[in-house]
Amino acid sequence: MSAVTPDAVQSFLQTYISKALSEQGREVPARLTDDCDLLLSGFVDSLGLLELMTALQDHFGREIDFGELDAEQMTIVGPLRKFVAEQLARA
Amino acid sequence: MHRALWSGFLHSSEKFAERPAVVAEKKTLTYRELRESAVRLAATIQAHQPPDAIPLTAVFAYRTPTAFIGVLGSLLAGNGYVPLNRTFPVERTQIMLERSECSSLVVDEGSLPQLAKLLDSAQKPLVVLVPDLTDVSAYKKQWPCHIFLGASELASGDAWREPELHVDSIAYLLFTSGSTGIPKGVAVAQRNVTAFLDYMVERYRVTEQDRLSQMFDMTFDLSVFDIFVAWERGACVCCPSQKTLIKPGKFIQDEQLTIWFSVPSTAVFMKQLGMLKPGQYPSLRYSLFCGEPLPISSASAWQEAAPNSILENLYGPTELTIACTLYRWNSSTSPPESELGIVPIGYAYPGMSVLVVDDNLNEVPPGQEGELLMNGSQMSLGYWRDAAKTAAAFVIPPGKSEIFYRTGDRVRRPVGNAPLTHLGRIDSQVKIFGHRVELGEVESKVRDACKMDGVVAIGWPKTDSGFGGVEVFIEGQESTPDKLRAAVATDLPEYMVPRRFHFMDRLPRNANNKYDRKAMQKLLEEGL
Repeated sequence: MSAVTPDAVQSFLQTYISKALSEQGREVPARLTDDCDLLLSGFVDSLGLLELMTALQDHFGREIDFGELDAEQMTIVGPLRKFVAEQLARA
Repeated sequence: MHRALWSGFLHSSEKFAERPAVVAEKKTLTYRELRESAVRLAATIQAHQPPDAIPLTAVFAYRTPTAFIGVLGSLLAGNGYVPLNRTFPVERTQIMLERSECSSLVVDEGSLPQLAKLLDSAQKPLVVLVPDLTDVSAYKKQWPCHIFLGASELASGDAWREPELHVDSIAYLLFTSGSTGIPKGVAVAQRNVTAFLDYMVERYRVTEQDRLSQMFDMTFDLSVFDIFVAWERGACVCCPSQKTLIKPGKFIQDEQLTIWFSVPSTAVFMKQLGMLKPGQYPSLRYSLFCGEPLPISSASAWQEAAPNSILENLYGPTELTIACTLYRWNSSTSPPESELGIVPIGYAYPGMSVLVVDDNLNEVPPGQEGELLMNGSQMSLGYWRDAAKTAAAFVIPPGKSEIFYRTGDRVRRPVGNAPLTHLGRIDSQVKIFGHRVELGEVESKVRDACKMDGVVAIGWPKTDSGFGGVEVFIEGQESTPDKLRAAVATDLPEYMVPRRFHFMDRLPRNANNKYDRKAMQKLLEEGL
């Protein structure tokens, strides 16, 4: 399997959030910026975030230990995609 | 005589004055501190409330100390509380505020940005209490028709008078999603809640040493358990921030929780994310689940992760006050008692009666399926200002002389001392080519076949006599539909085998995080 880049994670997040928002009939942001907080912006709620983490694992076909990521950082696009890419890069 | 919902708190505040009553936003309030703040708020509401006002106060606050002070202050003022939630669309909050006809409103700092929109649509003058701010002059200037009171303008606690309790004094007014899309307000009396609490604190032997989770937002009535069970006995309710909610495991460990209460979905995700390792949560004495069906697989995994805890599955609609049946999980004896892979909902609370009926509201024989009707000390006052909806749901079945609440849930009437089993919603049973099909059964087979928990079956397309077939929505990664279909086809009759599978990263959910069947049906209507 080729390495997963932060950009690949970004594009997954973008698709996931866009789909979730459009299913709820809400406006979809053109681009999720690195400082966007998914929780505080109301894009997902806390249960939705747990679902998102599950979806990330499913999508990249690997278990990701989110326990290592700080809860404050976990909901912010930049740190989240960097973290996921690093986790996936591990053997 | 019934007792007031605030009486347990007042008792604990004398007995356990210096013990923690609530932890929120990393701040701890002792019983003494909470009482002092709430009494001042109550005295202020009492001083400003016209004698003919509707005895309700809205609490527009989210997971802050002010939210708890607001709830207690409303009750101590003699009012029921109406929880509002800034994470809901503000349009929904507007409707709730308007329909409740509240005369006063407590707001925390974090909810202030939405206040303008709420007040612009307010139909009548409100007393707005903002205990988080000292200076509210800007608000006073902008909305001269409302009365604004900041922290420095709150009355002294000495002015507070303990209110009188009436037989139907309201504890809270909670809005649930209505079938028409307009939320319905359920009015729950203080006597309903104290009947529930009396049983819960005894059953769980709650003491001042206990620490309870508050996973539920206050707009979900299960939050009432966390808050008032704790306050009845001098225990502490631990309210995670919005951010902490996403790390439930760490929350249990950091706060050394002893009583856990959440929707089963939280357990499902924790399992998938590796947060349910054996022995991980030794501090828990009780693990309680309510709000949606509890899969056997989630119950087993949780029981292993919290080995010192007793696990119980609770069931109850808001109209019957929080929960009204329960079932104690046992890893060896429970699976054979379960149906469709779902843990039974068990037995009625004392003071509550069960009736399982057919379409004509006649009781079905033991062993048969039917709609669950219940009544008793926890049956609420009905829908706020909506006599027609109340009359439709609170009915006197033929041959009976008492009113029962129609839950809309399908259960099996137990044989002998067997537990009640939940089989789905009444509206989840459809007719396909004349066959009665329980969609929950299709969901259960698909769940087994694809190993995913988020599965919803919908009758589709509509025909004159019901539906032409079943389509299934699955939360999770796309897999091969043909394989899935082949796997379930071995267990299901032809007409129940799903025509199509729709894979989604996230299934549509309603405001309380339950799967939204109507939204999925709409997707099909729109040609998904």
